[in-house]
Amino acid sequence: MRTLAFLAMAGAINGQDGRVGVIEAAKAGDLAAFEQLIRQYERMVLVTALRLLGRLEDAQDVSQEVFLKLYRNLGKVEASGSLSGWLYRVTVNVCHDLRRRRPDTVAVEDAGELASPDADPQQRTAAAERRRALELSLRLLSEKERAALVLRDLEGLSTEEVARVLGSSEATVRSQISKARVKVKGFVERYFRRRV
Amino acid sequence: MNCRDWEERLALYAGDDLAPAERAAVERHLGECAGCQVFLSGLKAGIDTLREAHEDGPSEAHLAAVRARVLADLRHRRRSRAWAWAVATVAAVLLLLVAVRPGRKEAPPVPVVAVSRPPAPVEIERPRPRQPVRRVRHVVARNRVRTPLLASPPPNEPAEPLVVKLITDDPDVVIYLISGGKGEPK
Repeated sequence: MRTLAFLAMAGAINGQDGRVGVIEAAKAGDLAAFEQLIRQYERMVLVTALRLLGRLEDAQDVSQEVFLKLYRNLGKVEASGSLSGWLYRVTVNVCHDLRRRRPDTVAVEDAGELASPDADPQQRTAAAERRRALELSLRLLSEKERAALVLRDLEGLSTEEVARVLGSSEATVRSQISKARVKVKGFVERYFRRRV
Repeated sequence: MNCRDWEERLALYAGDDLAPAERAAVERHLGECAGCQVFLSGLKAGIDTLREAHEDGPSEAHLAAVRARVLADLRHRRRSRAWAWAVATVAAVLLLLVAVRPGRKEAPPVPVVAVSRPPAPVEIERPRPRQPVRRVRHVVARNRVRTPLLASPPPNEPAEPLVVKLITDDPDVVIYLISGGKGEPK
């Protein structure tokens, strides 16, 4: 019965009502509904974790933990109103915890793994270069600067949302973002000048 | 003002993170400073490079792997929880059965009584005076008394003990009532 109810509302999952309905169904133990939630947010969580940690394997571990936390806290999430905000916050926190547990979690070797197999070799090389530049420039930043830059410039959150996710003031976030952008600019210029 | 002092504001301007008043100030400065224009274009190029690279996210296989792990974990936890509940339920039912055995409160069936008069023992030891500290020995002594009751009687023993055998429904349970020589139950 729950599954039928879920199927009936699955088409409207992108709307607020649909999402709330899916959360309700998942809360009642419907794994199909929860899978639908995962599908909606998995890319966001995995990519954010990957940018914060730099290693795909670690990012996958973080994503798994984030979604298990989501399952356990569906009630709180529903009350908080913003599922994506909650997921970003938990993702940042789980990445922070993982970084403390595994301090050497910085790697660039996964850049190659993400290359699209459809692209021609030249495009693939250019894309790989950009990804490498991205990975290396993020490594230059402090953990907080990186989180602020990833959320603001890559994930497209507003400064206010970033501040809420990171638990900081907007002024602090703005300061972190501006420092991060200046560092990235310097690195990207050096990186591509060396390769030209 | 030194152009270095404009860097932070230019970085915020590049990402459209300035309030309107500050934004206007930065645009005024940019109109008269070629160096800051170059700096700004470098900032924008850096952000664009990161955004383009960010577009190439993980493949569907990477996402599916995480999804499968999460769902497998949840199914496993659910099974474990179901097992735990099943075991707890069975344990509770067993405890309940032990605590409230159906035949326990019913009146026991009237036992079949068979009276027999076994031969008196050859020699009966008198029970020793009670010594609480040596209780175990006392029990052993009493047991010793019972065993010879079934032995052949001495020819001149005047008072043979009376043994009443109660046969219950349970074949493993037989109750003996033994009375002494003077008719007192031992």
